[in-house]
Amino acid sequence: MKFVFTLIVAGLSVGSIYALIAITLNLSFWTTRTVNFGQGAVLMLCAMSTAFMSRSGVAIWLAAGLGIAAAAVASIAAERISVRPALRAAGSMGWVVSTLGFGICLQGVVAKYLGGQAIAFPDVVLSSTTFVELFGLRIGAQYLLIICFSLLTIVVLDLTLRHTIWGRVVMAVAQDRELAEVFGIPVTRVVTISFALSGVVAGVAGILTAQLIGTVDAAFGFSLLISGFVAGIVGGFGNDWGALVGGLLVGVIEQLVAGFVSTSAGHAVSLSLLMAILALRPQGLLGRPEVLKV
Amino acid sequence: MMRMSRRAFAKATAVQGIVTLFGGGASMALAQDGGTIKLGLTTALTGPYNEFGEGNKRGFDLAIDLCNANGGIDGRRVEIVTALDDQMVPDRAAQNMRRLLDDPSLVAILGPAGSGPTMAVIDMVTADGRPYVNPLAQATVATYPAGLDKPPRANVFQFGILSPVEADVLGRYVAKTYKKIGLLHESTPYGVAGRDTLLAVIKAFRPDVDITTESYNQRATDVTAQLVRIQRADVEAVLVVGLGTDLVNIRRSMVRLGLSQPLVTSSGGLSLPYLEGAGEAAIGTIAPMVSVLVEGNPRPEVVRFVNEYKKKYGADRYWGPDSERPQLQMSLIVIPAFDGANVLFEGMRRANSTEPAKVIAAIESLTDFPGVNAVYSFSPQRHHGLRPESLSMLRVVKKVDRLGLEVVRS
Repeated sequence: MKFVFTLIVAGLSVGSIYALIAITLNLSFWTTRTVNFGQGAVLMLCAMSTAFMSRSGVAIWLAAGLGIAAAAVASIAAERISVRPALRAAGSMGWVVSTLGFGICLQGVVAKYLGGQAIAFPDVVLSSTTFVELFGLRIGAQYLLIICFSLLTIVVLDLTLRHTIWGRVVMAVAQDRELAEVFGIPVTRVVTISFALSGVVAGVAGILTAQLIGTVDAAFGFSLLISGFVAGIVGGFGNDWGALVGGLLVGVIEQLVAGFVSTSAGHAVSLSLLMAILALRPQGLLGRPEVLKV
Repeated sequence: MMRMSRRAFAKATAVQGIVTLFGGGASMALAQDGGTIKLGLTTALTGPYNEFGEGNKRGFDLAIDLCNANGGIDGRRVEIVTALDDQMVPDRAAQNMRRLLDDPSLVAILGPAGSGPTMAVIDMVTADGRPYVNPLAQATVATYPAGLDKPPRANVFQFGILSPVEADVLGRYVAKTYKKIGLLHESTPYGVAGRDTLLAVIKAFRPDVDITTESYNQRATDVTAQLVRIQRADVEAVLVVGLGTDLVNIRRSMVRLGLSQPLVTSSGGLSLPYLEGAGEAAIGTIAPMVSVLVEGNPRPEVVRFVNEYKKKYGADRYWGPDSERPQLQMSLIVIPAFDGANVLFEGMRRANSTEPAKVIAAIESLTDFPGVNAVYSFSPQRHHGLRPESLSMLRVVKKVDRLGLEVVRS
């Protein structure tokens, strides 16, 4: 049983990271109906700049704050450079390539100016080796932190969307952008704010993940993006509780398969799950089917 | 477009051949004249991997400075006249090497850092025939194309740690010390090849050893599943074949999960990112390394190198954080280049010539030549400098306020 619980806890923690990334994708999806495939690079930018500044003598909390701010700015830049121009052509899917290109470009810039080699990432919150003992099971404190932060983010986001004016404005833009403009909603500002927020959450996810792994480099973030995208699809793209359910499900399945079947099979199984969901329930576990009246 | 008759074409080709023949001869004569001994280099001078290239170049430059300060080779100064930057990109290394090899005035070539660029240039270098110093690439085929027990490339001399040499030391230590081992390797060809090599050595030395094998993907976010499976096997040590960056995650996870077994890994694992990233969790990690810089009573060559390096470069990033003592990693990057250059110069002195065949023969005749990392002996069958005896198993320990290394006594 100890073996199973250890795997489940690890799965919940890794799954929480996937859920956070899925949430960042949701934040940009709601207002533009696009997926920012450069999000992995935004995550990486925060982690690399935090590590770099910390090594240069900047206090860790200041370095982390500036790193998160950099991620927000990068996310806004992604919207301006690679999403907005692509959306000018109705029905265009060019944003898929342009956001991916933005991410690759950002990776290159970071590699050139901060170095392509991995650098050690400092402990920002809690030590990497601190653990909590529950029912005879050792659980890393940073794992618990990620799970709690992920839950908190989703609760706050859900409450904000339902009970604040900004939340209603975002939902209005998500439902009908043109009508929202007609009603005087500053759509451009709403989109900018949602991308900035997406960058902030991505930055925090980057810091929490980098703490676990212990090092960062310019290639950090891309595989997390894929896993976060899978989590979002499985749970229901655009649904924040779906992001959580999808992320946790993917994380736990990966760990259980790795533990009981083969450590090489974890990712393969989660991608198989993706294909099954797309075939059987394309709106995801908690998503609603999109209906088009003709 | 001008059309050439067949006769004119044949004549032009013949003239070209004669010019090349005598021009080549003239180039050989140029290389033999009494002027500067010219060397060519391609390495990662800039870019994300310049730590290796720049480190190699410092070793080469220091060796050249000391050689020239002592009168050069038979009164002739040595100089790297062409130093090209490949950023450890194989294609760029190949282009650079083409430029170097097209220069007949160069008497020897100093090779790039890393196995990727080295493999991209090694065939053209072998065809050229001029002496070639391989300071870093561990891939066996770069020096021994058909295997370690077969003849080496005629003109290539290797000064880093060869993979089979490291596997021999590591495998023997593990087999001698532990009965139940968890072997965790990355899923890349490097990890799989490393696993296979180690398993062969361990099993040959101790057939009854119990080994549990698990793999992980490079840059994996989490390795809990692999480690709990190893934990269930009740192993005595965890042997990891992988890069230092992933080693941080593995070591931290071991501590989180309560795996108190020692972590044993290859020399590449004891990199700066690992020691910095794992912090105190790195204490107890064991790996094979060249240990000349941590041993007591170092040889005079070691002392001389340390003093001269500090005089020229100070306590730079290769020297490390302790201003009194250089860090061990100098033996992996800077010293192989320094030793390689010195062996090349000794070959030229003994040959009393820079003619490739004579220099190569002279290097092959070297026995007990005192370098820094090791005392070198070569032969027509042996073109690598570091033998298993050159390596020791080292353990990460806490020394006052920082991490250090000590030799594991068996």
